[in-house]
Amino acid sequence: MAPTRILVTGGCGFLGSEIVRSLISTNDYDITAVDINPPSLGTSSFAQVRYVRANVLDPEELQKVFNQAKPVVVVHTVGVYHVGAARYGEKGQETVFEINVTGTRNVIEAATSCEAKALVFTSSVTVLLDQMWEDFLNADETWPTGRATTAYGQSKTAAEDLVLAANKTDFATCSLRSAPIFGPNDPACMSIFHRCIERGETPFIIGSGTNLCDFVYVSNVADAHVLAVRNLLKSGTAAGEAFFITNGEPITARDFCIAIWKEFGHVPSFQVRIPKALAWWLGLGAEWASWATGTQGSLSRGVVWDATATRYVSIAKARRVLGYDPRVSLPEALKISCKHFQRQLDGRSKS
Amino acid sequence: MVSAKDLLYLTAHPRQLRSIIQWKVWHNPVHERDESKECESLKRCFHFLTLTSRSFSAVILELHPELLVPVALFYLILRGLDTVEDDMTIPLEKKEPILRSFDDIMDKDGWTFTENGPNEKDRQLLVEFNVVIEEFKKIKPAYQVIIKDITKKMGNGMADYANNAEHNKNGVNSVEDYELYCHYVAGLVGEGLTRLFVEGGLANAALLKRPELMESMGQFLQHVNIIRDIKEDFVDKRRFYPKEVWSKYVTNFEDLFKPENKELALNVSSEMILIALTRADDCLYYLAGLKEQSVFNFCAIPQSMAIATLERCFQNYDIFQKNVKITKGEACELMIQSSQNLRLVCDVFRKYLRKIHQRNNPHDPNFLKISMQCGKVEQFIESIFPSQKPPIDAAKSPVSAEQAAKEAAAAHEARWDTYYMILAVVLTITIITGSMLFIAWLAGARFDIAFSEFKQQFGELLGSSNASGAPVSSLVEDAPGHVEL
Repeated sequence: MAPTRILVTGGCGFLGSEIVRSLISTNDYDITAVDINPPSLGTSSFAQVRYVRANVLDPEELQKVFNQAKPVVVVHTVGVYHVGAARYGEKGQETVFEINVTGTRNVIEAATSCEAKALVFTSSVTVLLDQMWEDFLNADETWPTGRATTAYGQSKTAAEDLVLAANKTDFATCSLRSAPIFGPNDPACMSIFHRCIERGETPFIIGSGTNLCDFVYVSNVADAHVLAVRNLLKSGTAAGEAFFITNGEPITARDFCIAIWKEFGHVPSFQVRIPKALAWWLGLGAEWASWATGTQGSLSRGVVWDATATRYVSIAKARRVLGYDPRVSLPEALKISCKHFQRQLDGRSKS
Repeated sequence: MVSAKDLLYLTAHPRQLRSIIQWKVWHNPVHERDESKECESLKRCFHFLTLTSRSFSAVILELHPELLVPVALFYLILRGLDTVEDDMTIPLEKKEPILRSFDDIMDKDGWTFTENGPNEKDRQLLVEFNVVIEEFKKIKPAYQVIIKDITKKMGNGMADYANNAEHNKNGVNSVEDYELYCHYVAGLVGEGLTRLFVEGGLANAALLKRPELMESMGQFLQHVNIIRDIKEDFVDKRRFYPKEVWSKYVTNFEDLFKPENKELALNVSSEMILIALTRADDCLYYLAGLKEQSVFNFCAIPQSMAIATLERCFQNYDIFQKNVKITKGEACELMIQSSQNLRLVCDVFRKYLRKIHQRNNPHDPNFLKISMQCGKVEQFIESIFPSQKPPIDAAKSPVSAEQAAKEAAAAHEARWDTYYMILAVVLTITIITGSMLFIAWLAGARFDIAFSEFKQQFGELLGSSNASGAPVSSLVEDAPGHVEL
């Protein structure tokens, strides 16, 4: 059987490159990886993959790339998000919408006009869970979206709606709502948690410390994408559907942090509990202070919300329809990720 | 009966005292055993049941009449088997054939066994085992087949262990061995009971299609017993903690009991507790398949006790020094909560899991896995009893225009219903008030005086008493009859 032509947008990114790796291991695909920053010579890339530079915000350039690659399936992973205070604020959100929504629209258009058969979109659990001060316990895909309060959650919702609305009999689409992803080379999670050690913030528990959250290891999300591609090309039972993709191992945010810190050899020597209400006021104060001084502190009301919210979902639908099963469990996943991060740190300090 | 220490404890824990009183005063068994219809040998069997089982006799005695006798006999037969296996004074060549053929013994009228050592606490049961056999013959053949089958499997399993010199010297080796051992002594009981429940029509037959669930029921209880009894077993020269677990932390099993190894001993116990906890969600799932209340209580009460005991043992160094138990008050509270419905039992599990989670020690090598397991069970409970419902989305519902019209009509009707209701109430009140006033008037009430009085008082209240004061007082003087009324 001839390999199926597949195009991965953001194919050099954290998740995109992992998806490319998973696709290669199946030996079923002829892969084109599109990225705004294709790998320069000598950096890690796969010999059997065609790397092409294109910007999702440039429809003409994008169309040209698609016409050349003639993909049967498109995997659209491009997306941006803010970390820190910007996650909760208004500033700089135009770029988030531009790339996440307009970029997605451009990709859908390019894909349909070059007669691709299917599109898998990387969405986010935030389409549901980013509703400030709301808790979600074992929520499933029957919950309505559109109530997100962060720009990222809203932009992902709009993009997901575009993708699912584009689903037709000759163009099958589905959306994978991934939990926060961590893994080797991850651009956010590891450094955020590692920084807490340097800042001496590890003893502080905000809220009860009993709120369960979801995370997902990068190769598990990549697996889900490969499964979704296969489903859309064969049975098509996933067409027009959204799926939550997590590690299926809800854990309290506090314990997840401790587990990471332990990998770096740090265990808080004492613990201080800060009640949620007090933390809220401290957060408000910190926001004023950072506004007045123009610096960025690590506390804000948004951070308090993120730290105290109970937000976990059910992956029963992904298991049932896609046959998804998270292969790498949290303990192993954390070990790999933290080791990798430590090597990077060591490398940086040497050079 | 109650010691001064207990009294002092209960004074400090009124909640537990309340539970004890509540259980003693208000607990009504779902079914009660009818002693008047029992023959002598059955009475003797029940006598042994209460004598040999500390925890199980109470729940067995309240079982549905259909299963009361079969389950009681099942218990006594396994207890008899256990008494032979346990007794180290019986030589192996004598013990093994008895263990392997215990199911055939059930066909031998009048079989008794008198060779137990004098210190074997249940030896009298075997001395009079003929009563058990006599009663066993009377129960339904279908039940007999199940009980014999399990007895055979368990007897063979026990004989294998008795034969295994390595096991007798060094105890259990791998985690796999440990679970196999627990399968023989407890998992099989779960299987036997489940088959009895289904045969009696008191449990969902689907339970038989998920054998891992009934296996977990027995495993969980046995794990908890083994974890709790480590000290007692050690004194009796028995080791059930698998070497695969403890050898990660200490070189010799005895080292676990040395005070300088406290930290390591706790690590071993928490790994054992983690292994037990992986069965917790299966147990809750199993309980959902039980149809009859007394069967539910019979299964749920020991499970609740087990999770509470596990919590008590978690990160508790006492288990290496003495016998750790839950208090009587706690036990009563658990029995009350576990003899109602699955939701309450889930609440009990969640409560103790959260306590375990709270005490989870970041330094413990199994910290992450324990936390994940607590999360897993919590998610499972949430999946069978969701605490949230997806909101009805205003934009997306109602589904069709037709339905919308229907709903609007219903709302319209409901509004008119409300109006009619208000009208009826007002009308009723008016009629009643009117007739009361009319009767008062008939009886000679002077509303004119009352009215002007009211006007005056009201005027005074508003501070304009002078203007209206004079005519009112004259009116009052004009009406002397008022005083008499």
